[in-house]
Amino acid sequence: MILAGETDGLESRKLSSGVVIVVACGTIGLIALFITARRGLTEWPFALAFGLLVAVGEMVQFRVDRSRNRAPIATSAALGYMMLRGPALQVPPDLAQIVAVTGIATLLGILPRAVAGLGWDLVISSRRVLSVACAAAVFTLITPDSLSWNGSWTHALPLASTMLLAVLSAGIVDAVVGAGQTTERYNRPFPAALRDELVVMGRIGMAMAISGVLLAAGTSLLGLWAPPLVIVPLLLTQFAFRRFAAAQRTYRATVRSMARSTEIAGFSSPGQNARTASLAVALGNDLGLRPDRMEALEYAALLSGVGQLALADPSPGGASLLRNREERQRAAEIGASVIERSGVLDHVAEIVRHSNDPYRHGRANNSQIPVESGIVNVALAYEQLVGEGTGQSPDKAMESIGLGIGAEYDPVVVESLRRVVGRGFRF
Amino acid sequence: MLRPAVAVIAAAASVVLVMSFTRITIDLRVATLALLMLLGGALRFRVLPNHPAALDSVALVAVFVIAGPWYAVAVAVFGYLPQLRQPSPAVKRIFNPSYRVLAAGGGGLAYAAVGGPVGEEVFHHVPMAFTAALAGTIGHQLTNAALVSIILWLEGQVRVGDFLRSVIAPTFLPMLGYSALGVLLAVMWIGGLGLSACLLVVVPLIVVRWALSQYQAERAAQAATLRAFIQVIETKDLYTRGHSERVSTGVGMLGRHLRLPEARQNALEHAGLLHDVGKVGVPTSIIRKPGKLDDAEMDTIRLHPARGVELIGNIPFLEEVKSAVLHHHEKYDGTGYPAGLSGTNIPYFARIIGIVDAFDCLTSTRSYRPARGIEETLAILEQDRYSHFDPQLVDAFVTVIRTHGWTAAAAEQPQPDATVEATIDHDDLSLGSSGGAAGSAAGP
Repeated sequence: MILAGETDGLESRKLSSGVVIVVACGTIGLIALFITARRGLTEWPFALAFGLLVAVGEMVQFRVDRSRNRAPIATSAALGYMMLRGPALQVPPDLAQIVAVTGIATLLGILPRAVAGLGWDLVISSRRVLSVACAAAVFTLITPDSLSWNGSWTHALPLASTMLLAVLSAGIVDAVVGAGQTTERYNRPFPAALRDELVVMGRIGMAMAISGVLLAAGTSLLGLWAPPLVIVPLLLTQFAFRRFAAAQRTYRATVRSMARSTEIAGFSSPGQNARTASLAVALGNDLGLRPDRMEALEYAALLSGVGQLALADPSPGGASLLRNREERQRAAEIGASVIERSGVLDHVAEIVRHSNDPYRHGRANNSQIPVESGIVNVALAYEQLVGEGTGQSPDKAMESIGLGIGAEYDPVVVESLRRVVGRGFRF
Repeated sequence: MLRPAVAVIAAAASVVLVMSFTRITIDLRVATLALLMLLGGALRFRVLPNHPAALDSVALVAVFVIAGPWYAVAVAVFGYLPQLRQPSPAVKRIFNPSYRVLAAGGGGLAYAAVGGPVGEEVFHHVPMAFTAALAGTIGHQLTNAALVSIILWLEGQVRVGDFLRSVIAPTFLPMLGYSALGVLLAVMWIGGLGLSACLLVVVPLIVVRWALSQYQAERAAQAATLRAFIQVIETKDLYTRGHSERVSTGVGMLGRHLRLPEARQNALEHAGLLHDVGKVGVPTSIIRKPGKLDDAEMDTIRLHPARGVELIGNIPFLEEVKSAVLHHHEKYDGTGYPAGLSGTNIPYFARIIGIVDAFDCLTSTRSYRPARGIEETLAILEQDRYSHFDPQLVDAFVTVIRTHGWTAAAAEQPQPDATVEATIDHDDLSLGSSGGAAGSAAGP
């Protein structure tokens, strides 16, 4: 009962931050729309052109890394619109108009995706509008009205600096909100989540922000000739990213398939590797590992059994689970050397190599052994106790793993497992 | 011929360079433009291992717009400087900067011919600036490709057609697209930012470069991982070690002979590598069992193509890879497995792999027989045209092996041992009668 209640709490909390973001965005958008409607739209060709760009960018959003969908063109266009200045524009758009145009264009962009059944996420899009609104507020506050692109560096350099500050503020706001959401959803410690978000911001975020600056400066100088000049390279960039993302997906699927080979060979029960990996990832999140280490951890958990392929045939009924320690360690050693042979997964091999070492003989005395090995060790043990078919209750399994604390299992990891299971983790 | 040609190119470049110096004024601006070219030359990514392509095209377009073609010619050499770090023969050290000057000249000629605006004029003639930038990029790329092709042709190590197809063709359109960035860079430069405009333009370029290099890295990682994985599966049987790699090489050779497009060629090589991956589902006791297999054991072996597809089903390969893995044991006369397809109903890749698979098996040592010679094996293949193999593909394969040769399995395999009673390899054609439960001449 208590566990069920916890799970419900988790679900409702998960719902709430998204709702808060969407409601905040909706409220700000409506207020902005109301103000803009009363004052009237200034420089409508620019509003129309940039609104169109935001909508199209929103329509062609895609997934760059594992985290979430991204719409680089929409982000750049929205950031670009809020930093427009003379000589092309007589009156720069005010804060309300920026939020109104971005908000409406975002909605118009999501609509076709929703109708066509493609992936879309109102929360992510709302986050985009909110961070653009923040950046617009910063830009309006720190940029004197007298500045314009008149060809002199005395204007150009201060303008470029305030633009960079404005997009930086957008990036930071988005990173903080994103880190909050990651903490809420995956129970990552907030500082770790924020650090990861800032790293991503430094790469993809920076490219989008600088493209926004280019768009704004170019349009201010050339008028509406500039957006096509920026969009062509942006599309090429997006194309490069899509190819990269596709290669990454292929690679991940390859590792997953390799992991399934132990199931097909009868060394592990169906889904066992995937279950172990999902628990290992939950533990890694709880301990706040860096994204590259998280990836290696997931692969190591998936591949921890490949060494068995080189051993003799499995006994019927998957009795490999009951094999003695020496044999398990030998399998881990073989598995590690197999993984090492690929030449690209050295860290994964290192984790697998020590994944069956008892804590007392391993990490307790040798700080070289990564904590990930201890995580995989605990995840394997817990999966064997609770996983499908073996059916112990989580409490019972926790109890037997608790008996091995310090000797067999890493105390830090067992504590983490207690928290993860306590929050209602289920395979 | 190579040295005279390089000398002529270098002489032409010197003339163009001297002409440009009579038409420009050397001041601080030239220095900043040179810095810009240096940046463009430093931002390189590799299209193929031996052919790095620089994004100096973008920088060059920017110089056309900021100061005009003559300045571009004068500072073009600076794009070459970042290359000096790598050791290269003297001929290349003379050729590389020379062709850069001439290519810049070719681009500049095109830019001027279209009437591209220079300096602040650009604010009033944006469409014209972009058109001229496109023309300039085309001129630059064409001169570039022509000069490099001449040298490659004289050098005779790389086929010019291959160079044009694999290096110039894929980068040509992206370069045209990025020339827009050059115009934009120039606009911001003139608009008051000067050299600091580079920072804004360079960041997106660095991200593109990062994405492209990541793409290469992910592809390489996948290939390496697949190889390692296949090696694990082959540890089950000492005699088949390296078989999948060799089949992959063999189908690769045949695929190039058949002039498959790049994507299908890659898919074919993947399929060759993975064709026996389903053997992981066959118990080691059956694979290593001495003597004849009973029907139940044969059925287990016959499942391996389906197991293979089950295993790789989630990897987003081309569909052809999966059908090839599933059907690589079909025979041309319809007596194969799992579906008993015949003739051209068998997927194309599966027919190709079937031939190379049998060929590698016959030219490798088995516990019950020594390796066969290549000519002897080719004769067996030709004998089995129509019954087992697609006759046209057999002919093509025989041609390929006769022209390019074949590196058979290494001698490190254990020697055949007459005292050992072993299973007949499921790919083996040579010892028909004991081969399979179905009693067909080609084994299971």
